[in-house]
Amino acid sequence: MTKDRNESVTNLATGQNQPFSKKQSRRRFLVKTGGILAASAFGAVPLRGWAAEPVNIGALYPTTGSMAQIGVGCVAAAKLAVEMVNEAGGIKSLGGAKLNLIVSDLQSDTTVTRTETDRLITGNKLSAIHGCFASALTLIASEVCERAKVPIITGSSSDQLNKNRTYTFTPFARASQFAKAQLQMAKLVGDKPKVAVIFENTAFGTSTSNGLKELAPGEGVEIVMFEPYSAGFTDASPLINKVKASGANALFSVSYLNDLILIVRTVKQVGLNVAINGGSGGFVIPDFYKNVGNLAEGLQGIAHWNHDMSNDAQKVNAEYKKRTGEFLFEYAGGLVAQTFMLADALERAGSADPQKVREALSALDVSTGYAAMAPGGKVKFGPDGKNVFGHPVGVQWQNGDLASVFPDEDKRAPLMKT
Amino acid sequence: MWETLAQAVINGLLIGGIYALVSIGVTLIFGVVKIVNFAQGEFVMIGMYISFFLSSQFGVDPIVSLVVSMPVLFVAGVLIQHFLIRRVLGPNDMPQIFLTFALSLLLLNLALMLFTANYRTVHTSYSDEAFHLGGLYIPVAKLIAFVVAMGLSGALWIFLHTTDLGKAMRAASQNRDVAMLMGINPNRVFCVALGVALALAGAAGSLLMPFYSAYPFVGQVFTLMAFVAVVLGGLGNVMGALVASLMMGVAESLGIQFVGADSGLIVVFAMLLLTLAFRPTGLGGGKAR
Repeated sequence: MTKDRNESVTNLATGQNQPFSKKQSRRRFLVKTGGILAASAFGAVPLRGWAAEPVNIGALYPTTGSMAQIGVGCVAAAKLAVEMVNEAGGIKSLGGAKLNLIVSDLQSDTTVTRTETDRLITGNKLSAIHGCFASALTLIASEVCERAKVPIITGSSSDQLNKNRTYTFTPFARASQFAKAQLQMAKLVGDKPKVAVIFENTAFGTSTSNGLKELAPGEGVEIVMFEPYSAGFTDASPLINKVKASGANALFSVSYLNDLILIVRTVKQVGLNVAINGGSGGFVIPDFYKNVGNLAEGLQGIAHWNHDMSNDAQKVNAEYKKRTGEFLFEYAGGLVAQTFMLADALERAGSADPQKVREALSALDVSTGYAAMAPGGKVKFGPDGKNVFGHPVGVQWQNGDLASVFPDEDKRAPLMKT
Repeated sequence: MWETLAQAVINGLLIGGIYALVSIGVTLIFGVVKIVNFAQGEFVMIGMYISFFLSSQFGVDPIVSLVVSMPVLFVAGVLIQHFLIRRVLGPNDMPQIFLTFALSLLLLNLALMLFTANYRTVHTSYSDEAFHLGGLYIPVAKLIAFVVAMGLSGALWIFLHTTDLGKAMRAASQNRDVAMLMGINPNRVFCVALGVALALAGAAGSLLMPFYSAYPFVGQVFTLMAFVAVVLGGLGNVMGALVASLMMGVAESLGIQFVGADSGLIVVFAMLLLTLAFRPTGLGGGKAR
């Protein structure tokens, strides 16, 4: 050992003409070997104040392209979460190691997602990854992670993420649960809900609306109109004319932001009195309210996370609001909780090795603290990587803010009848 | 029943007015300069962004911002004709098609880079209002857009038929060589044609803004409709394009109402196919007007 040390020192002395970076790495090598020596000498007890190796966490989000708006918000939340963990002392079992966030832009593109995920994993020593907002992107990233044996934790709702996967963890509600909750919410508005379902004729629209159609009879909800429309239309009036003729008293719109804005405005112009449920995604972000203004009041939606759920969530929301000026939206809030779940797993694993982190994640069982910020306040993963307590929360736009209104255990404000 | 039908017709006419502004531009360029402008929709997009920024930065009403978007795009049209299109005017069509297509791609990607793909909307006091008559309703923003669109089309009609420059444009469109022999400066006429066509696209953008969202791909929807209307109305025929646009709006609306909400375009294209089969020169006849 001493010989090694001496050699290193002599190397250092002889290598003075070499580039600065080289010397840097030698110095780090010395620090490390010194660390190992010290650890063995003191029975592997990490020394206080010792600069532990940071733990790398990968963050995959679309920060440019069509999903950029949400992606940028996600990255802001991810940074906030990492700061919170680090300020609270980092990972104590790893000698107070700090989390180091490595962000990668997926450009809202499925092909880029594959190459970027690959690049992120091969280029860095990662302990875990979180991402990617859109299910279409997450499905691809999770495939890459599975092959590379790096755990990925995600708020994406596709049920496919729980099939044949061992490194993928989904702490929040699944797509199939969303449909069920939406139907149950329709019953809050009236005893005999007559629902019109309109959906864009894409994979997203068709699969979501079929889920609604299948579950409706079991929930005692009558679907009086079930109509696909061409996404990106110029005029919603004929469609809303049809909804009016159907005699529906509730309207489920499975749409992206732009179509939904047109639909909401047209419903108002027609003077149609229906309770609108806009689902999740583009509906539960601050931008929706900015675009439709007062018309959003009373509209219902569904989310896997909401900022008024618990005291912890409200605390994080306040900090996020201070930084960005907007409330912490569904996906971004969820990933703050995810970061704390990772921290909890790292703490118990006592190692930055992705395999050990995966094992610790699969044994996660929390009901307090920031890691438990989920509807119901409990997170525990089943063998399929699904949170066994996971369920969605029904939300409603009230005074420019999203309030949790369903189910009763997560309710923070009474449902406003429209 | 008649109420639903009447409402569908009203909806169709109102959106048809916007289609008309775009397709009149395309048909004017085709009639006078004899090129197909694939970038017309992108100029609608630019018009929308001009109105959006004037409204969000300076609080200008989107309809009023027409007085900015139209002149800006008129100048853009003149410059594009003078510096780009003039160079590719010749016996071969291919360079012209590539030029306008490249222009469309360039503008689209520039917009993506500068403005990102986010949807931008302007909320005016009349955005969500509507007049109610019996069981029918007429959205205020769309009614304003329709009236202004028809007014602009009428003004263009008067310009083409009463002014020397307008007559020169019609002459160049009927027979370019003879027009040149009569002393008409073709480049000047082409510049005005491009300018007017782009100004109309800009107007369409400003008129859309109170009730539609601006995003980089928004023009493509309108380009498609405009091409169909131009073929239906007879290539180069301004009045034909106007009538065909209104018909298409109504056909689309009736299709959504009575066939299915994803059938709007099917009905429009069925109309196009039938017209091409039975009246290949278009509903308005073949001659440029």
